[in-house]
Amino acid sequence: MSMTVISQAPVEPPAVTVRRQTPSGRIAMTLAVLGLIALAAMPWWASTGTIRSVLVLCCYIAVAQMWNLLAGYAGLVSVGQQAFMGAAGYALFVFAQTLGINPFVAVFLSLLVPAILAVPLYFLLHRLDGPYFSIGTWVVAEVFRLVASNLPLVNSGAGMSLRVMSQYSAFERNVAMSFLCALMLLVTLGGSYWLLRSRFGLALIAMRDNPVAAASQGVNVAKLRFLIYVAAAVGCGLAGAVYFMAQLRINPPSAFDPMWANVAIFIVMIGGIGSIEGVLIGSLIFFIADRWFGEYGATYFVVLGLMTLLVALYARTGIWGMISKRWDAPWFPIRRTLVDPDR
Amino acid sequence: MQWFDALVQGVLLGGMYAQYALGMALMFGVMRIVNISHGDLVILLSLIGISMAMAWGLGPFTVLIILVPLGVFMGWLLQKAILNKVVGSDPLPSLIATFGLSIALQNLMLQIWSANSRSLPGEGIESRSIDIGGIYIGLLPVIVLVVATGLTWGLDLTLKRTRFGRALRAAAADVEAAAMTGINPRAVYALATAIAVGILGFAAVFQALRSTVAPADGAAQLIYAFEAVIIGGMGSVWGAFIGSMVLGISQGIGFRIDPGFGVLAGHIVFLIVLATRPQGLFGKA
Repeated sequence: MSMTVISQAPVEPPAVTVRRQTPSGRIAMTLAVLGLIALAAMPWWASTGTIRSVLVLCCYIAVAQMWNLLAGYAGLVSVGQQAFMGAAGYALFVFAQTLGINPFVAVFLSLLVPAILAVPLYFLLHRLDGPYFSIGTWVVAEVFRLVASNLPLVNSGAGMSLRVMSQYSAFERNVAMSFLCALMLLVTLGGSYWLLRSRFGLALIAMRDNPVAAASQGVNVAKLRFLIYVAAAVGCGLAGAVYFMAQLRINPPSAFDPMWANVAIFIVMIGGIGSIEGVLIGSLIFFIADRWFGEYGATYFVVLGLMTLLVALYARTGIWGMISKRWDAPWFPIRRTLVDPDR
Repeated sequence: MQWFDALVQGVLLGGMYAQYALGMALMFGVMRIVNISHGDLVILLSLIGISMAMAWGLGPFTVLIILVPLGVFMGWLLQKAILNKVVGSDPLPSLIATFGLSIALQNLMLQIWSANSRSLPGEGIESRSIDIGGIYIGLLPVIVLVVATGLTWGLDLTLKRTRFGRALRAAAADVEAAAMTGINPRAVYALATAIAVGILGFAAVFQALRSTVAPADGAAQLIYAFEAVIIGGMGSVWGAFIGSMVLGISQGIGFRIDPGFGVLAGHIVFLIVLATRPQGLFGKA
């Protein structure tokens, strides 16, 4: 047996270009930009009632996308994101009403609270495995609710009102609400899209598909999970601050309402987990269903619950999963496609 | 004396929590599944029991004899219809499926029984008490604690001594290896869930006797069961029992400090255990 030495000729890298955008993506991006502009310009074309409805829809989208980042990419299935919504909402009321800070500055200041709380909470909760993590997040939300119910700083169980808003005219408030809606979607959806297109996005998608394999390829899974958890806390905090600013009132049961977990899970599972398109589809379906069938109360929630159950059993990729299997036309393309210009 | 009384009441409350926690410990130990509708199943069984007692004038013991087999059947059905399709290494499908089931069950119960609180008439045992050295102890909480101890002992023995227990522990350790030795994991899972929900039949009767039940109460029961299991340490039946005692005592003392602080005290002890001893008091590191 003789050893043969295979000489390695230097290989020229093939002259290819990386294509990241698709025609469908360009159309969707144009529509998204137009949509954001229309959203920010709402006071000039929509009634106060419409603005309030759209604001609720934007909060659904933001919270659902944060849940999607957590559950769909980081494998962190939280059912307690309302903890951060309520914490930021309360922070806004304390900053603006109690401390007299300008409410539109206080909205942004209040985001510090979920960010600061999320750090120690993650170090507690990440010790819980899979499904136990979920109920752990729920316990935390319950602790927040009970603490708020007993804390004189936030007027205990009676709740607080944002009376300082009355110094602004209805038009001024509408301008602020519309601007905040546009900003919220830009940060949560735009931010997620930017994240998924960056090199973190590659790591996130690898982690979504298989955390062990991703770790073996050099992805720092633990660090990425931590960052996503804090980012999602801030995103949910923004939604909470904007939502309760529009509500003008906050009390412990509304601030830490588990309904938000139901909404986020329903939207993401029906729309399609692990995609931004799914969140948009799911939010629209939920928003319309809520308008049409909300009056049926309990029966409506029985149907929502059963639909969530059926999706988990038979159609885990949701509506967007079924659409994208048939038509390859992503609205927010994140794939890198190699194109050989010689062919 | 006041604090000793709080301690005793806490232990008795722990007996109630142990009845929720055993089933959860069993299901998580075997399948790595947390059934989010765990508490809603207790409430459903309670409400069915109360309605039967009202309609046919049944005593609590008769209701218990009906509810336990009904719970066993519901557990078997839950496993066959839902959980067998979602059991696996990814925790997401089982969580979402049982989460959806929980929302559907809660609202279905709201439709059938309305939001009112109800309780099970107990033919006088709920108001009887024993005087032990100046502390009045309710007879019913003592019965609850005795039953909880009996259930824990029985379940522990079943896991250690019987053929089913061995199959169950084998499936929990390594499903594929267990399947190679001739164990049918699906059958083991179905039996485990049937036992878990069957135990909830006991919890349902005692919960409805001790206090009241309303359709929205399930979430709190789920959280207490979960905290007990984590405090005690996963994968151990006696761990879940001791965890329930710790939770009950924390809440009992908390309630004595301030009525608004009781439940919160339990949560805080849970978080302290999680921070300092994440494997639980009795778990192996």
